[in-house]
Amino acid sequence: MKWKEWAGYYAVCSYETLHDSEYYAFRNSAGLLDVSPLFKYRVTGPDAAAFLSRIMVRNIEKLAVGRVSYCCWCDDYGKVVDDGTVMRRGEQEFFVTSADPCYSWFSRFLRGYRVELTDISDQVAGLALQGPTSRDILKQICDADLDALKYFATCKARVNEFEIYISRTGYTGDLGYELWVKNEHALKLWDAIMAAGRNYDIRPAGLDALDVTRVEAGLILKDVDYFNALHALIDERKSSPYEISLGWTVDLERAPFNGQAALQTEKEHGSKWAIVGLDINWPELEELYYKRGLPPVLSNHAWRSSIPIYTAKDKRIQAGYATSGTWSPILKKNIALATVQKQYDKIGMELQFEVTVEHVRHTVSATVCKTQFYNPERKTSTPKFPKS
Amino acid sequence: MSKKYDAIIIGGGHNGLICAAYLAKAGRQVLVLEKRHVLGGAAVSEELYPGFTFSVASYVVSLFRPHIIRELELAKHGYEVIPMDCSFLPLPDGDSLARWADSHRSRREIARFSKKDSEVYPEFSRVMTHMGKLAKAVIDHPAPNINSINPKEIANLLRLGKAFKDLGPDLLHLNIKLVTMSALDFLDLWFESEVLKAPMSVSGIIGTFQGIRSPGTAYVLLHHYMGQLDGVFRSWGFSKGGTGGVSMACARAAMSYGAEIRTEAPVKQVIIKNGMATGVVLENGDELYAKTVISNLDPNRTYLKMVGENHLDPDVLKDIKRFKLRGSSGKVNLALDSVPEFSCRPGDGDHIRGDIAIAPSIDYLEKAYDQAKYGEFSTRPYINAVIPTLTDPSLAPPGKHILSCFVQYAPYHIKEGAENWPKYREAFGDTVVDTLAEYIPGLKDKILFRQVLTPWDLEQTMGLTEGNIFQGELSLEQLLFQRPVANYSGYKTSIPKLWMCGSGTHPGGGIMGASGELCAKTMLTSRAI
Amino acid sequence: MSKAYDIIVIGGGHNGLTAAITLARENKKVLVLEKRSMLGGIAAGEEFHPGYSTTGLLHDTSGVRNRVIKEFTLEKFGLKTKQGKPTVGLLSKQGDCLPLSNDVEATAAAISKFSAKDAAGYRDYMAFISAIRPFMKNLLDEQPPDLSALGTKQLWGLLKKGLALKRLGKKTMMEFLKVAPMSVADFLNEKFETDFIKAGIAAPALYGSFTGPWSSYTTLNLLMLECLAGEHIIGGPQALIAALEEAAKNAGVDIKTNAPADKIVLDAGRKVSGVKLADGETFTAPVVASSCTPQVTFYDLLQPNQISYALEHAVKHYRSRGTTAKVSLAVNKAVTFNGVGGLEFYRTGNSFDDMERAFDPAKYRQSSAEPLLDIHVPTVSKPNLAPAGHSVISILVHFAPFNLKDGWHDETKKKLFDSVMKTLESYSPGIASSVVGSEVLSPADLESRYSLTNGHIYHGEEAVDQIITRPFPLCAQYATPVSGLYLCGSGSHPGGGITCMPGYLGAQTILKNC
Repeated sequence: MKWKEWAGYYAVCSYETLHDSEYYAFRNSAGLLDVSPLFKYRVTGPDAAAFLSRIMVRNIEKLAVGRVSYCCWCDDYGKVVDDGTVMRRGEQEFFVTSADPCYSWFSRFLRGYRVELTDISDQVAGLALQGPTSRDILKQICDADLDALKYFATCKARVNEFEIYISRTGYTGDLGYELWVKNEHALKLWDAIMAAGRNYDIRPAGLDALDVTRVEAGLILKDVDYFNALHALIDERKSSPYEISLGWTVDLERAPFNGQAALQTEKEHGSKWAIVGLDINWPELEELYYKRGLPPVLSNHAWRSSIPIYTAKDKRIQAGYATSGTWSPILKKNIALATVQKQYDKIGMELQFEVTVEHVRHTVSATVCKTQFYNPERKTSTPKFPKS
Repeated sequence: MSKKYDAIIIGGGHNGLICAAYLAKAGRQVLVLEKRHVLGGAAVSEELYPGFTFSVASYVVSLFRPHIIRELELAKHGYEVIPMDCSFLPLPDGDSLARWADSHRSRREIARFSKKDSEVYPEFSRVMTHMGKLAKAVIDHPAPNINSINPKEIANLLRLGKAFKDLGPDLLHLNIKLVTMSALDFLDLWFESEVLKAPMSVSGIIGTFQGIRSPGTAYVLLHHYMGQLDGVFRSWGFSKGGTGGVSMACARAAMSYGAEIRTEAPVKQVIIKNGMATGVVLENGDELYAKTVISNLDPNRTYLKMVGENHLDPDVLKDIKRFKLRGSSGKVNLALDSVPEFSCRPGDGDHIRGDIAIAPSIDYLEKAYDQAKYGEFSTRPYINAVIPTLTDPSLAPPGKHILSCFVQYAPYHIKEGAENWPKYREAFGDTVVDTLAEYIPGLKDKILFRQVLTPWDLEQTMGLTEGNIFQGELSLEQLLFQRPVANYSGYKTSIPKLWMCGSGTHPGGGIMGASGELCAKTMLTSRAI
Repeated sequence: MSKAYDIIVIGGGHNGLTAAITLARENKKVLVLEKRSMLGGIAAGEEFHPGYSTTGLLHDTSGVRNRVIKEFTLEKFGLKTKQGKPTVGLLSKQGDCLPLSNDVEATAAAISKFSAKDAAGYRDYMAFISAIRPFMKNLLDEQPPDLSALGTKQLWGLLKKGLALKRLGKKTMMEFLKVAPMSVADFLNEKFETDFIKAGIAAPALYGSFTGPWSSYTTLNLLMLECLAGEHIIGGPQALIAALEEAAKNAGVDIKTNAPADKIVLDAGRKVSGVKLADGETFTAPVVASSCTPQVTFYDLLQPNQISYALEHAVKHYRSRGTTAKVSLAVNKAVTFNGVGGLEFYRTGNSFDDMERAFDPAKYRQSSAEPLLDIHVPTVSKPNLAPAGHSVISILVHFAPFNLKDGWHDETKKKLFDSVMKTLESYSPGIASSVVGSEVLSPADLESRYSLTNGHIYHGEEAVDQIITRPFPLCAQYATPVSGLYLCGSGSHPGGGITCMPGYLGAQTILKNC
């Protein structure tokens, strides 16, 4: 078993020395992952929606009860502080998750709103049940109408004697659920899922497998693909939502919210950077290895070190940098997420990616593509409401 | 026939020794004269009780400039500092707060008192680290002279201006606040919990006769975050063998470069001929001559005792007389039979391996100051205690411990007059022990030996005028080009050939070594020696 | 259908009126909205007991700038001034009263009765004040230094201020740099030896600054006050307001009293479009100038999501801990203090230790047991404020903290009143039996009556960082991050007191920008 630090907790990287079986569980059957170290907040009160709308780049007032919104939040200058999900559990009740502790940031905006903000990070556990058989497993243990639960919807459900919240969300880019439960019931929930999942090839899964799936799904990670603007010591390390592929979450035409003016300006004048997917040319890479008498040996781990990206024309001009990537077992491709200057973000564009083979640096060509490398239909399907 | 030196340094404190080392390294003939039998000045280790080595006065190493360690190869000469892992605050209600090097551990501890503060705490560190760049630009160079039109001085001024400009407007404004606000008001910009603000604010008042609400005390907060800029994560630590260990390493370095050091050689006066310093007279009447004389003593002692009023220009005399020293702290050193345990968090765990603050609330600290303002020592003082024997067992017999306590406020000028301090010495010691005993039950039964140093004692034994541990208050009008006095701030004095290298010169204060180093470098580059 | 204006000024105090006149004189259509039934705010004279009136919450009018008086030709509207600060009687507990007058030599002569050293010290002190006055005027009578960015323009501005300092000559400059950060106690101890004289001179530096005399930087406050004292207004603040009102009407300013602003209205582009009153009536204008405190302007008059986080943070941490209360006394005789009558102003202080002791309780949210009193007897020059032969004593009481531990209510106000009377009694024995009526305004009352946030009489503490960029960097040039909204009250450069400068300079900025 391998561990690492996550928000001050020890979290499992993989339950065995190799995480491959956990990756395949996510893609072929189901993996169960403890995501309790995420930060969790409850926002309640008559102004809860207005309050969150003032903080988030999305208009939370438009979010229907029972729906989940993925979004980010910005500072005054339109630079991203963190990203997470906002779930509307009731007319006046919201549940928010974040990667960094955000209680202090959120509470800075409380003045004037009839809202109660509670940090429930230490009271609520989170389990991510992800993979093609996850719906069938969950059906065994709870009373929710899962066939009707749409992608990015949330509902309350009962498991034995306790209550959980289910959200049809996840970080693997596959069919999956995130389950939120009071601490005292967390182990019972885990056991119930594992027991019910026995016939569906469920496996406990760790962060290493998750990392591969999230790159395949093109999902960005704070502190890897971008940095919290409040933590950045220099402006160059800050990013706007447009620059980290979250421009689609920004809703500008509405009541004032944090960063609105700056984002409006950026939208009008264009952004400096963009996050793109890179499909790294495999034959070229293979060739480099062959030349040294080696078979191509790539780690089965996702990587997250910064790697320079150059323009195709001139290998001395840096177009940007890749921030994370992986060998995709399912796509059989070497893929990466990269931050590039805006003029290099067109799909199909050719760039050069730096690789080191036997201590010597080379470049291989890489093609700009969508960040969502893998996007199975089951991820968003709802059996009760099949797409026509 | 006495040897003619390039420089005689009066006082073998760490700055004097560093200055000597730099000059000797540059090939100069240097003599250091120390009045006591031990070297180090306020940075001194002494075996006051059999088997127990005390850091008598200075007890932690904070901002010792890392380039001095590199340039003088101090590690080779025995310099070793063990970083402090924790800041521990016991509280009277049985709770406590420990702040750790591990940020998540600190966050969880602070969250018990304020969730917001626990998240803001790292944010504060980041901003302060950022601002520390400016402080570094200030302390690693001689102070700019705002009156000079010498191109070098102008360059120095521009360099500082650039450091300001590079901060950007937001941090510039914060810097204005930092320099002018009270430590407490400044912390109020971030934090809400007293349990955090009280122990953090005290770094603004250590060694000054000010309270945590006094304007101008915020600046010193910055010093806590500067270590990170020097490539070290934690800047505060214990010197192996006591703080005297730092001085001894500097002395060994100086000697290795050929400097001569004499102890028990008290200087009576600087010899001034034709208005110039030419040497010194010792208490025993011996006269020693040198091309230059460098004083490691405080400005008051240097000008008024070593030089004498009759040699001073009236303007300089006026400025020296208004130079504020006003010591405000004392020291209580205890030898203990066993490890002191806090009732709020028993055991000898990591929490007491760093510094321990008795600063339970803002009002507690402010009331301690109120008493001092009217000429009394605080009956419930701020105490900063360390147990160096936990990290350096060589200082005491196995299982025995040293509890070294910095105590504020103990104003030099008590109502009855400073000379009456000896009458109150033991009462002051009792106050400190009583205060600690409220947190450490059974402390009194563990005490094998007690040393109490009042500001009067610091003056008498260490030669610190008015017992000021920084050789002069660190208030804005006594910093930079005004430390110690305007027009004579660049280590030069108003007497030609007489220089100063102590904490009373820029940048001053703490075991930093910068004054000694910059004095030597200024002398060498200006070809004064 | 409401009339459209070029500019709406919120608040009809001295700064609001000054701003309105400055704008109207440049042919702008200006509306002034005042929540109370009368103009003047803290400069308004008020009847506090049937037949007895004060001339304003504040007393000192010597900070009103000559430039404003001249430019508005206020003399034409009935304003009368007298050169210099009015004479103040400094009171000691030993029964002395030293008249501190505008005449340096006369004052020095009076001081020499106590100490020859102090007489010399006073000449020395006043000579220093005269020497640095040009620099201080440059600093406080002009637009504030622009530190919003550090471009060439800003650096040039700073350089010019620096040169103004250098022009003082090396010796004066170095002395200024030395003493400005010092505590007023350290500074005056160098020059004087008589306790009550030192204390009396120092006292105004502490008003509204949340410090005692031993605190650093209080010397700077003292120097600012001393350097700016020009001429004072006969009849007090009330007379100034009367002249400003006439001048405003003459310049075509529309004035609406009993018109409390509820919200500043912004359009979809987050730009100012007008002001909505509490009764719902709305006036439109593309520019609003607020002479209210920064807290009232940004917190009360705007919606929370209309200000950025940076602004939210700045307002939250703008320090304005009110420590002043007001006691007005109706007295059935002519009054004397330490046996001296006929002066309009008196000050207690006695010694630095006593002043420091008066401040100490404020830190613990308590009132001074023996407060510092800033005493004004307006009936000396305006007998008609009270029945014939009677007096009005208007007292600003320091220190009475806004956030009193026990809260402000009748009982705590009574306690405050008693401490004032007890203190007063030692300077004017038997005064209590002559008091026929009184009014106590706690800091909480000041907040509710005058919209002074936390009851702070200067719209915020005069601390160095809040002087250099007042109220805070985001709004230090009168313009605010809210497009079309400007500040023009005491919370802006050059700060509190009756000076009219924030209104004047704020209006200048509006004229330049619009």
